[in-house]
Amino acid sequence: MSDSSPSDADGTDDGADDAAVIERSRRHPEAFAEVFRRHAPDVKRYVTRRLGRDAAEDVVAETFLAAFRQRDRYDLARRDARPWLYGIATNLVGRYVRDEVRQLRAVQRGGGDPVSESFADRSDERVSAQAHGRRLAGALASLPEGHRDALLLVAWGGLTYPEVAAALGVRVGTVRSRVSRARRRLRRELGEISPTLFVREETVHG
Amino acid sequence: MDEMTVLDRFRAEVPRPGLDELRSEEARLMAAIAGADAGVDSASVRRVRLVRRGRLTIGVAGGLAAAAVAGVVVVTARGPEQGTVTHVMPVAASRVLTRAADASTGFPELRPEPGQFLVYESQTMDPVESNSAQGHARYLARSVRKVWLPVEGDSTRGVIEERTLAPRPYPGWPIPPSARRAGPNGGPEKLADFDDRAEFLRNDFAYVSRLPTEPQKMYEHLYTRLGTGPQADVEAWMRVGGLLTEAYLPSAQRVALYRAAAAIPGVTTVDRAVDAAGRAGIAAAKTVGGVRREYLFDQRTYQYLGQREVVTDAAVARAPVGSVLTSTAQLRVSVANRAPRVDS
Repeated sequence: MSDSSPSDADGTDDGADDAAVIERSRRHPEAFAEVFRRHAPDVKRYVTRRLGRDAAEDVVAETFLAAFRQRDRYDLARRDARPWLYGIATNLVGRYVRDEVRQLRAVQRGGGDPVSESFADRSDERVSAQAHGRRLAGALASLPEGHRDALLLVAWGGLTYPEVAAALGVRVGTVRSRVSRARRRLRRELGEISPTLFVREETVHG
Repeated sequence: MDEMTVLDRFRAEVPRPGLDELRSEEARLMAAIAGADAGVDSASVRRVRLVRRGRLTIGVAGGLAAAAVAGVVVVTARGPEQGTVTHVMPVAASRVLTRAADASTGFPELRPEPGQFLVYESQTMDPVESNSAQGHARYLARSVRKVWLPVEGDSTRGVIEERTLAPRPYPGWPIPPSARRAGPNGGPEKLADFDDRAEFLRNDFAYVSRLPTEPQKMYEHLYTRLGTGPQADVEAWMRVGGLLTEAYLPSAQRVALYRAAAAIPGVTTVDRAVDAAGRAGIAAAKTVGGVRREYLFDQRTYQYLGQREVVTDAAVARAPVGSVLTSTAQLRVSVANRAPRVDS
C-alpha cells in the first residue's frame, strides 16, 4: 500500500474510491487489503446480526476471498463497492438459511437469541427477549428468503433500493415490492400484540 | 414506533467490530493475496510431505520426485531413549509460555464431540529437496492447507485440501523450473496413508483430552521414554510442537502443556517473530540442530499463532543465519460434523 493514497479511519478517503482501489489491485493484489479495511467491519456486523458470530466469521472471510478472486470482473463504473460486497455476503448467508431460520424461531419461542446472547449481559432488555422482538423474529423467519434479504440489506446493511437491486441482481421495482411486502408482514405480526403502537404509514424506508 | 424501528433495534447489541477483531478473516484474505502476488500459483511436484513432529513421521501419498529436507533442519534426538528415568520439572523459565498459560483459560473453548472433526486451516512453508535427472534442487514450498482430523483416531482418517502458493528460493539456491510447473491443486485428498506414531505421541482430541492437567505430569509425558540431557530436551521441545500443530487441547491440558514446555531447559524468548501469514508475534524458542525452533504467540492475547525455524548456525543448516526455513501460521480451528468425501 506504499504508493496508494491513505484513507481516513472512517472509511472515506482522499481521492481513491473503491473502484480505483480495486482497479489498482488487479496489478498490485496487495492493494485489495484496503477494500477489506474499509468495508469488513460493516459487512461483519450485518452478517453477524443475521447468523451469529461463528458463521459470520466464515461468511465474511469467504466474501472477501470471493471478491478478491472476482476483482477482474468488477464493474469499475460502480465507485462504491458496498453493493457488490453485500451482494456476495448475502449470497453466502443463503447457505446458512436453515441456521438463520432456526435461530429466529428460537427467539420467537422465547428461548433466547443464540445470535446476540454472546454480545450483551442484560439479556432481558434486548428487543429479542421482549414480546414484540419475538413476534418480529417469527415474521422474519417466515419471510421468503429473497424478501428477507432485501429487507435486511435496507434495514441492517444501510443500502438504498438501487444499491440493494445491484447487490441482489434484481430490478429496483422488485426490491421495492419485496421490501414493501416484507414490511407489511412485519406490521401485521407486530400489530397483533399492540395495534395502537404502530403507525400505519406506507412511505418507504431507505 | 413502526416495524422498521423494531427491526432496527433487533440485535442492535451486535457491535461493529474493529479491524483487530477481524484478524482471522483478514489473514485468510492476505494468504490469498500472497498466493496471487508472485503470479505463480502452484508447484510442480506433488510433495512427499514428511512431517516430522519429534519422532513422528507421517507419510503422504504422492510421487517420489521430492522430499522435505527435514534432516537438515529438524534434528530429531537419537539415542537418548531409555527405559525409566525420573524427570523432575525445573522451575519454569519461559516468560512467553508462562503468560500463554495464564491467558489461555480465557479463550472461547471448542467442544468437539465423538464422530466430529476438528478443522485446521493454516499457511505453511517447508523446505523441499529434489533429486532428479534434472539435477539437485532445493526450494521453499508454500501452501494454504485445510485439514479435517477425526476427534478420535489417527491421521489416516484425515482429509486435506491444499492449495499451492508460489515457491520461495532456499537461501543460495535458484528455484528449479519444476517447482513452478502446475501441479495438483485443491483436493480433497486423504491426509496420510500411514501413521506410525507411538501411542504417547498421539495428538488426536480424544487422546489429548486424557493427558494430565498438572504441569509436572505433562512434563513427564513430554519426556516419555527419554533420558536426560540436551538431546532429550530437544526431543521434548519437538513433542511440544506435535501437540501444537494441527492439534487442539482442552484448556486445562493446554495450560499444563505451556507450563511444562516453559520448564524445558534452554527455552528462550524471541521478542518479534512474524508467522507465515505475516502476523507479528512473540515466540518461545529452542535451538535445534542449527536452527531456532520457535512457537509463536500473539503478543497481546497470547493465542497460539504458528511455528518457525530460523537459522542460527550457517554451517549446520547450510543457509545464512537469520534465514527462515520453515514457517507455519495456524489461521483457524473449528469443528465440523464431517470431512469432505475423498474419491479414491
